Amino acid sequence: MRTTLVTLIAGIALIFVTTRVSAHHAFAAEFDSTKPVTLRGTVVKMEWINPHTWIHLDVKTPKGTVERWMVEGGPPNALYRRGFTQKSLPQGSEIVVEGYRAKDGSLRCNGRDLTFADGRRLFVGSSGTGAPKDGRDASEK
Amino acid sequence: MRYRSLILIGVVAIAGAIAVPACYAPPSPTASSPTTGRTAWGDPDLQGVWRYEGAIPLERPSQLEGRDTLTAEEVAARERVEKEQEAKRLEGVEGAAVGRRSVAESPIRGNEYNSFWQDHGRPRQVSNRTSLIVDPPDGQLPFTPNAKKAEARAAARYGVGPFESYLDPDTGERCLTDGVTGMMWQGPNGGHNRIVQSPGYVTILHEEYRDRRVIPVDGRPHGSIRQWFGDAVGRWEGETLVVDTTNFVDRTNYEWANIWTRPSESLHLVERFKRVDAATIEYTVTVDDPTTFTRAWTAMIPITKLPDDTQIYEYACHEGNYAMPNLLRGGRTDAARTSSR
Amino acid sequence: MRAIFWITIIVASAVAGAAFWTHLPVSAQEKSYTPPRAADGVPDLNGIWQALNTANYDIQSHPARPALALIPASPRSATPGLDRATHVELPAPVVRPLGAVGGVPAGAGIVEGDEIPYQPWAVAKKKENADHWLERDPEIKCFMPGVPRATYMPYPFQILQGTDKILIAYEFAGATRTIHMSTVGDSPSSTWMGWSRGHWDGNTLVVDVTDFNEETWFDRAGNFHSDALHVTERYTPVSPHHLMYEVTIEDPKVFTRPWKMRMPLYRRFDADAQIREYKCVEFVEQLLYGQLGVVDPATGTINK
Repeated sequence: MRTTLVTLIAGIALIFVTTRVSAHHAFAAEFDSTKPVTLRGTVVKMEWINPHTWIHLDVKTPKGTVERWMVEGGPPNALYRRGFTQKSLPQGSEIVVEGYRAKDGSLRCNGRDLTFADGRRLFVGSSGTGAPKDGRDASEK
Repeated sequence: MRYRSLILIGVVAIAGAIAVPACYAPPSPTASSPTTGRTAWGDPDLQGVWRYEGAIPLERPSQLEGRDTLTAEEVAARERVEKEQEAKRLEGVEGAAVGRRSVAESPIRGNEYNSFWQDHGRPRQVSNRTSLIVDPPDGQLPFTPNAKKAEARAAARYGVGPFESYLDPDTGERCLTDGVTGMMWQGPNGGHNRIVQSPGYVTILHEEYRDRRVIPVDGRPHGSIRQWFGDAVGRWEGETLVVDTTNFVDRTNYEWANIWTRPSESLHLVERFKRVDAATIEYTVTVDDPTTFTRAWTAMIPITKLPDDTQIYEYACHEGNYAMPNLLRGGRTDAARTSSR
Repeated sequence: MRAIFWITIIVASAVAGAAFWTHLPVSAQEKSYTPPRAADGVPDLNGIWQALNTANYDIQSHPARPALALIPASPRSATPGLDRATHVELPAPVVRPLGAVGGVPAGAGIVEGDEIPYQPWAVAKKKENADHWLERDPEIKCFMPGVPRATYMPYPFQILQGTDKILIAYEFAGATRTIHMSTVGDSPSSTWMGWSRGHWDGNTLVVDVTDFNEETWFDRAGNFHSDALHVTERYTPVSPHHLMYEVTIEDPKVFTRPWKMRMPLYRRFDADAQIREYKCVEFVEQLLYGQLGVVDPATGTINK
């Protein structure tokens, strides 16, 4: 009985906790879910615009040539509020991108997951500023 | 001698009067007082950056049919799960809700971007209700049959298309707006809204699409010019700001991510903002639109004040809307594939 | 005694006379007008304001022109045997159907000294911008206009003075600026409308604006800046119905020195004065995207 109740409560909790990622994203119109890609490259620049940031990435092909990819990221404002800024991914950073390729086959993909070369996730956690507990947060009382 | 002195004084006085402009003594300033919660001119103070930080959906989930509140245990369980997931996200380890599965095994929908891209906000238990809708009592949107069909069609089209022209993506993809109805609370975990008050006006600056409402509270009547956000007039009823909005343009023929937020010429919104404590505005919206709903419906959303150093950031969307040409190119690729079969 | 008496009369009259005459030029008005106070004691600039000049066409003095996009004059001598009159400037074909609606009115410049101190490379870039106005002017695409262009576009704007924040609500593209009146952190990124920090200098609202991107123009004549732009605005009430607006432009990547613009802003006091929507994104979708999809919505035909 008790076990069932606990399961029921936890189940109800999960009904609410699953949040939709984005109300708008014609994702499947831009990207092809049958074409996952993994890229390793250096950052040329990052455009911090809404609702998608864009990372311009130079990727070395096995042949030794360099391809310029555009990687579509999520909204920048989530990152700003965790303390990351336009300066957080400087030119020349080496990153690994996992995502899905553009439907039309061009050098574009979404940046579902970004890690540094050593596997650490980018933009995770906060950049160290932390929430101020100085009485300015009325909801913390 | 005496007269000459008087004339002298008179001339100097006149000269002084011409040279020195008329000033009037300003009223003694009263600074806005956080403790009394009043603006400097005495209206209830709603200013700050606000956000809906709850996880309660607009409509009651079918599993909770017949129940309008959760038990304390259920709320506590939800809080535990949310806090666990927040801790995992900050560490870079995903929680159950948005799993970090390998690219090969993850389904596209709902998992296009991992959680570091998402703004989950602070997990808070702002209410024990099972739906934001408080009327009708079943917690469901009272769609007309046509609107229900439109909603089903929108859900089927989402992310699938066809996307043959710039008219096919929804208003958000087009960087237009999400509409007024959900502005104070919608979004993954609520959008950010800054409220600014000045004499005669309450202004709401919403972060997404930089949507903005400048609401006169000086008792003027509605005008006649139709707008996407209608024509809002506000008034104070005691501690509550009541905003009445009509004169919306008809945008029912546009694609909307959520049909319930689309404006039509018959849409009439009545909103109430009541600051119930330092951290909370009780926001109520009544939506009356015979084009979309069989009856008026009302939702109540507690929205929470964010720390004073929270900012609304510029939302440049159309200025960098690469997604639009990209999805149109995707549409052409799809069409070419179909026609070549 | 007598001498002192008459000296005093003369001095007093001189003071009176000087005071009278100094009321005519604007500069004395600026110094002498005391605006009403907002309820928290600072000058009250709340209201709906609008510039009335041709600065959005060209911030420098300019004669009337047939159109915003012109095709160059053909010299009389270019065609052998041609000894007839040639046109001076013709509207480009694409804007020609607008006729006189598409013309540019003459106007005095708002730049102090009427000269924009471009670095040599930038002079050529400005001309290039002007020659490619149709493709390049961000106003055409309904992009946010930047500062100070937003101030002198031909739409009213509203100053809304809150506690700690002053909003300026513009009509064009629904742009809004937040002016932080107390200490605020830095902007996390470059922006179209800048990051604004304000303070009071007597009756003047001084706004320091930084963190611009390089995308906006100052007008339709191709005047531009870089992402090093730093703008300092001064809004000074000079009468119950006017502000004097003065703005200093600094951009070491583009100009050789700082330079200024100056203009009155007029209060809109018509009873139903209001900021309306100008949600122009949907006005330009056909222009920007009409040919990109499978179907052209304007004609219903398939795009090649």
